[in-house]
Amino acid sequence: MLEVKNVHKAFGHNEVLKGVDIKVDKGDIIVILGPSGSGKTTFLRCLNFLEKADQGTMDFDDIHTELKSASKSVITKVRRKTAFVFQNYNLFQNKTAIQNVMEGLTVARKVPKEEARQIAQQALDKVGLEDRYDYYPSQLSGGQQQRVGIARAIAVNPDVLLFDEPTSALDPELIGEVLTVMKKLAKEGATMIIVTHEMSFAQEVASKVIFMDGGVVVEQGSAKQIFTAPKEERTSQFLHRVLKDYDYVI
Amino acid sequence: MKLDTKFMLETFIDVLGGVPVTLKITIVTLLVSVPAGFMMALSRAGNGRIGRRIIIAYVSLIRGTPVVLQILFLYSLLPTLLNYLIKEILGLEYNIFRLDPILYAYSVFILNTTAVLSEVFRSALSTVNQGQMEAALSIGMTKTQAYIRIIVPQALVAALPNICNTTVSLLKSTSLAFMMTVRDITAIAKIDASFGYNYLEAYLVIFFAYILLCSLVQGVFYLTEHSVSSYRREKAIRKAPVMQNG
Repeated sequence: MLEVKNVHKAFGHNEVLKGVDIKVDKGDIIVILGPSGSGKTTFLRCLNFLEKADQGTMDFDDIHTELKSASKSVITKVRRKTAFVFQNYNLFQNKTAIQNVMEGLTVARKVPKEEARQIAQQALDKVGLEDRYDYYPSQLSGGQQQRVGIARAIAVNPDVLLFDEPTSALDPELIGEVLTVMKKLAKEGATMIIVTHEMSFAQEVASKVIFMDGGVVVEQGSAKQIFTAPKEERTSQFLHRVLKDYDYVI
Repeated sequence: MKLDTKFMLETFIDVLGGVPVTLKITIVTLLVSVPAGFMMALSRAGNGRIGRRIIIAYVSLIRGTPVVLQILFLYSLLPTLLNYLIKEILGLEYNIFRLDPILYAYSVFILNTTAVLSEVFRSALSTVNQGQMEAALSIGMTKTQAYIRIIVPQALVAALPNICNTTVSLLKSTSLAFMMTVRDITAIAKIDASFGYNYLEAYLVIFFAYILLCSLVQGVFYLTEHSVSSYRREKAIRKAPVMQNG
């Protein structure tokens, strides 16, 4: 469904991505792991053109484009097939929860208001916010805000959901509610690419795990293979370190 | 020393006649300067290098000179220039010196306020985090849609206290319009005072007139701010029946 090849991206002299490939099939839950600064987030942002890659190609269903020279209409098309969940939620502060979710429907896709409201209500119900429709973001907890963020993303019925460290800005006791929602979406067959540091979550839901370091994909495989029998030294070092941290926290 | 209260009362009534002029200058200026200043702030945030340089030059020119000087300059230069333009170049028979002086007042204050407001809006725009723009783009909105529906409304609310400031100082500086023979509050008071040298009384009267007007402006802004910034407060939480933590 989605295949991206040879993505390069540099910020000034700092080369963040040095040729990253990814292939996504419908229903895949791809988890991207890696140490900070490995380029995971940048890569995810390139997929949605929030960052313009310096090099690389994208095949998305019938769309074929160079990442660098993609036209505005192609970018809009790709963005309409994807949705992004941000680390800092990035909710529209001047809109209520339900308006946040409706915005992508009524404004970007010209869905009639009543229909949009119904879709938005369904999306908010799905993330467990049926009693928070008319709350402004400033009136919601971090976990609730991120769930609105997820509702906003799923309401536009994207082919691929992109999650950029969706729980790393949250207090530990709020992480669970967001992960629960994401697991639910995974079970329902949504296609997702997730950048995260939640190892047990990755182990549980990922159909494929990609380990990135230094701007390249070091290793990829099933969750079981990566977590129990990593082939690369760097992967096992990383896992050893984070899993130990994880045990320590527990 | 004794204040001539009868004169003060008469002057006060006279001065009331100048209030519409003062307000007119303030309001017309704002009506032009708010959108103009906003467009400037936006284009300064945009990509055009030349446009940005011109705006920076304009803003520092205006901010770097006293309003009084701008008035003197414009009021002595512009009529002569226009007269030359009309008579010599266009060959029309129109006496530019009969033009209502309030038009010069508009010009000076618009030039001034636009420069100030463009800075106000520039800082207000930067208070809206870039992430909201990205979020809007990621759900398929265009940049323009994102500006109109998400960024600008929040920037306007953030700018309100500073717009209030600008409005109050604009209202006060309209008192300089008497230099351009506009009969505003200050001009009327000075004229009244000049008959019997009751300057102190006249100034006291307009002292209070300006305090009243400025308080009024601040009140209006306070109410507006209160009604449009509801999303920033956590009011509804207290109203709605919500479970407490734990």
